[in-house]
Amino acid sequence: MAESVKVLPQDIQEIIEVHEWDMRTREGVQRFRELKAKCLPSVALDGDLVYESLIPMQEELIDEILRRYKEKNQNE
Amino acid sequence: MPDETQTKRFIYPTQGVCPPEIHFKLNNGNLEEIRFVGGGCPGNAQLVARLLEGKPLAEALEYLVGIDCRNGTSCPDQLAAAVTAAKKGNLTPAESFRVHADTANRCRVGLISSIEGNSVILQKLIQQMQASGIDACYCLGNLTGDSAHNKDLIQNIRKHNIVAIQGEGDWGYARGQEKENMPPLEQKDRDWLLRLPQVLSFQMKQKRGFVFFGDYIQSLPDYSDFEPYALEMNMVCGLTHFMQDETVFPALEAMIPQFRADIIIFSQLKKWGHWHIAGKDFISLGPASDAKGLSWGLLEVDGEKIEIKIMQAEYEGG
Repeated sequence: MAESVKVLPQDIQEIIEVHEWDMRTREGVQRFRELKAKCLPSVALDGDLVYESLIPMQEELIDEILRRYKEKNQNE
Repeated sequence: MPDETQTKRFIYPTQGVCPPEIHFKLNNGNLEEIRFVGGGCPGNAQLVARLLEGKPLAEALEYLVGIDCRNGTSCPDQLAAAVTAAKKGNLTPAESFRVHADTANRCRVGLISSIEGNSVILQKLIQQMQASGIDACYCLGNLTGDSAHNKDLIQNIRKHNIVAIQGEGDWGYARGQEKENMPPLEQKDRDWLLRLPQVLSFQMKQKRGFVFFGDYIQSLPDYSDFEPYALEMNMVCGLTHFMQDETVFPALEAMIPQFRADIIIFSQLKKWGHWHIAGKDFISLGPASDAKGLSWGLLEVDGEKIEIKIMQAEYEGG
């Protein structure tokens, strides 16, 4: 799943911060439970669980990232 | 180095490289069993480990120092830092959870859990298990409990050579956390309790299994997520809350291919349960005694199938 994030275009990479959790570790499991995820792989954006058990198409992921980015910055 | 005459195991938390930990042993000043765990390039890491296996520290350091990969360091450079710290006595030897391996191949295993200081119940269960033709008995914690008879129980377990593992209560008791009815332990009993294995691995035909008490193991000072059986424990304790949260079973199923064990048995829940998921068996043991009487588990393997039968006995008093 992290690979699909790593190959995002540079302009998208510049507006996001990526964290990857290792599900083998207690820390990874704790984060998984905090996000109330059920399946692997899972992707959360801004702490919201958005994709579970599927790798989104790049366009779909970019659209969602940009939508959230604009929403957050609309008042600035 | 403080003492080079025996093997010591170390876990080094890395900085600036992909694997979060390096595990290694020092045996009379020679490096052994190097493992870069949790990330990085597994092929290269294995090569480094093979090339350095058995090498004296000074010779190994010549190969390791001054290699840069990222962040001004590298896996070899971090290993150099790790062995240097161990050599100077700045890295404490790891005391992770203790694993005892039952090396015989078993067919019928008796399982007892939560005896909690009742030696009479233990005797009765042993008699019944022997009559049932078991070929091994594993006694999971808590062995001791809020009872005045913990000493008798410890003596009985030792007398019968029962394979026992430590529970959270035993761990606390050994470290001086006595409850109301618990007499202070003599030093030899305290040491015995403290040194009990915390994990027991076993083999039943083609199946590899292990038993453990519960999540207190994860809070042991040098617990590593990358030890053998830690993955299974992390999934049982942290992810599924002892198999009580079925909603995360899809995630559990995704992690199962990385398991080394086929049978995972625990006793913290104090409730009987058996789950068969993606070819693995998860078993929760109920207590040795409750309002219904006494109970123990009979674990059998029939081809690919694992069966746990709850065996019950009447018991009055105690």
